[in-house]
Amino acid sequence: MSLVTPITTPGRPEAMLPRPFRVVSQHRETPDTSTLEFEPENGHGLSFTPGQFTMLYVFGIGEVPISISGDPHRPGVLVHTVRSVGAVTKAIVGLGVGERVGIRGPYGMGWPVGAAEGKDLVIAAGGIGLAPLRPVIYDVLARRDRFAAVSLIYGSRSPADLLYPEELREWRSRFDLEVEVTVDRSDDGWLGDVGVVTGLLPRVPYDPAHAVAMLCGPEIMMKVVARELTHRGVSPHAIHVSLERNMKCAIGICGHCQFGADFICRDGPVLPYERVAEKLRVDEL
Amino acid sequence: MKLKSLRETSELLQRITNTELAFFESISEEVHLATGEILFEEGGAADAFYIIAQGKVGLELTSPGRVPMVIQTLGPGDLVGISWFFPPHRWNWRARALADTTLAAFDAVEVRRQCAVNRDLLLEIQGVVAEEAVDRLHRTRLQLLDLYRNT
Repeated sequence: MSLVTPITTPGRPEAMLPRPFRVVSQHRETPDTSTLEFEPENGHGLSFTPGQFTMLYVFGIGEVPISISGDPHRPGVLVHTVRSVGAVTKAIVGLGVGERVGIRGPYGMGWPVGAAEGKDLVIAAGGIGLAPLRPVIYDVLARRDRFAAVSLIYGSRSPADLLYPEELREWRSRFDLEVEVTVDRSDDGWLGDVGVVTGLLPRVPYDPAHAVAMLCGPEIMMKVVARELTHRGVSPHAIHVSLERNMKCAIGICGHCQFGADFICRDGPVLPYERVAEKLRVDEL
Repeated sequence: MKLKSLRETSELLQRITNTELAFFESISEEVHLATGEILFEEGGAADAFYIIAQGKVGLELTSPGRVPMVIQTLGPGDLVGISWFFPPHRWNWRARALADTTLAAFDAVEVRRQCAVNRDLLLEIQGVVAEEAVDRLHRTRLQLLDLYRNT
């Protein structure tokens, strides 16, 4: 009798097996953040829903979970925006075109875009938190008529730290999307807003009784935005947050990303705020 | 200046009674600023306060030899200026229009005079100014945290 249980999930024996992908483009967003496009070597792209992530393996260095930041309607190209914060992410940001990585996934529960149909949608991003929300924006704009008012509020450290500045300008120019951007610290040429992202909430159109909110950024930022939204009448079950914890298996087995009764990799990373609000007040959870 | 439409976005105007609104209308006037125009200067007499109807105002920190630094921006519905309520009634920052801006300007000297004889009005104004000050304190604390540095 074997004492070792093979690590598989029912019907998905490949869940722990990375597939080879190659970098097909690399764009430096900020000094420490890059957006990379990957194509699979075997020709089969990844279908994903906005908010899902993959495990990205740099051979010989390590594997990290990274949210997908590309267009869900273009599954042939996998897009990740990565900030260099450790050994693996530093290696990813340093990858050049043609270099090879291992990728498995996609994993996790994404944003409830379907549940937002017919309602006002408030998208609130902070820092690199815009990356996991960009697929939502692509998805919503691809079928814009199914949603009521749609707004993006985005906070960044400084003008130089803004992600996707060209797309932000393009989105701002649309008549069917309200975009407000603020920075914590301005610089000489900045004519936009200065202040925290919650200060933008009164400026965007939404009916609190018929709104869905999707928040991604530092947990403190998400807590503050969620608190402000609930103060303004948005129900906590209509607010969704994307959480981040150390992950290893990504399929709900190893327990590294356990957050109370939830595994962030399997039950998240996107979770209803009402389910996690209390836990977000617990030290070191 | 008629304040009915401005009341929809201004929390200060939402809190006051219709009678008080009539008083505020009687001491207000509409002000237009082109982009870049100064609303008030640091150290100047804070004898007015403003609510933005349209546009954007930046509160700036100025220092010799340095480009003015915008520390906070204010938009439609926001109250511009709280120093008028507290002695010595001097502005702590410079305020500049960052876009073509329309504001309702209120005679703060008259409001202070009325508050001296009307306790209800004083309490309402105190509440609004205190909330605004606390809100700005919370926001400043979050800015100081530099939240986005390592996320």
